[in-house]
Amino acid sequence: MIFLSKMRKPNYFKENKIEYIDYKDVDVLKKFLTPHARIQSRKRSSAPSKSERQLALAIKRARFLGLLPYVSR
Amino acid sequence: MGNSKGKKEGSTIYEVCYLILPSIPEDKLDDIVGSIRGIITEESGVEIDFEAPFRHPLAYSMSKTIGASRYVTSDAYIGWIKFEVEPAKAVVIKDKLDKLEEILRFLLVKAPRNTTFTFAKAKAVAKEKEEELESASVEDSSMVKEDVVK
Repeated sequence: MIFLSKMRKPNYFKENKIEYIDYKDVDVLKKFLTPHARIQSRKRSSAPSKSERQLALAIKRARFLGLLPYVSR
Repeated sequence: MGNSKGKKEGSTIYEVCYLILPSIPEDKLDDIVGSIRGIITEESGVEIDFEAPFRHPLAYSMSKTIGASRYVTSDAYIGWIKFEVEPAKAVVIKDKLDKLEEILRFLLVKAPRNTTFTFAKAKAVAKEKEEELESASVEDSSMVKEDVVK
């Protein structure tokens, strides 16, 4: 179990060679939202802290422009 | 900015993504985009890249009050322009864009020089995927029919 907890989870952005997380790229951003349109926790997204910050900013920008919803039921 | 190729000294790359009111006829969109471009060039901004506005459904309804009338809409024309300008002048551009009545909402942010995403590209990729899925489902159904016949 200790071995499993120390295993690194895949980084989506590194795997797909995404250097800049674009707020217009809704298809990518949607992968990191919960069914209620909230931003996934790092535990679920397994994104490194730097990408996590960029991702959160991109999602918030997309929400402002109406590309993503703030809430979803 | 990391990419300094062709960079003007003391200038930063910005991107303005705008939503235009859907009540505006399509033939007048060019005039509005022209006025946005005019604001940028007035402040000695240099255009790097752009995408023409197209009609896009919004994730939630937005409203804009012009004078005494309030417009509520659930879709808008979306487009963007990437340009290079001095940071002090970006503030002036923002103030001028605020005054454009045809713009429902806009976002002015710093951006990298290279354009990695366009709506047109994303649409093409989505269309390709759909076609692949459709062809795969047609193949599957034909296989099932053959099995039934046998």
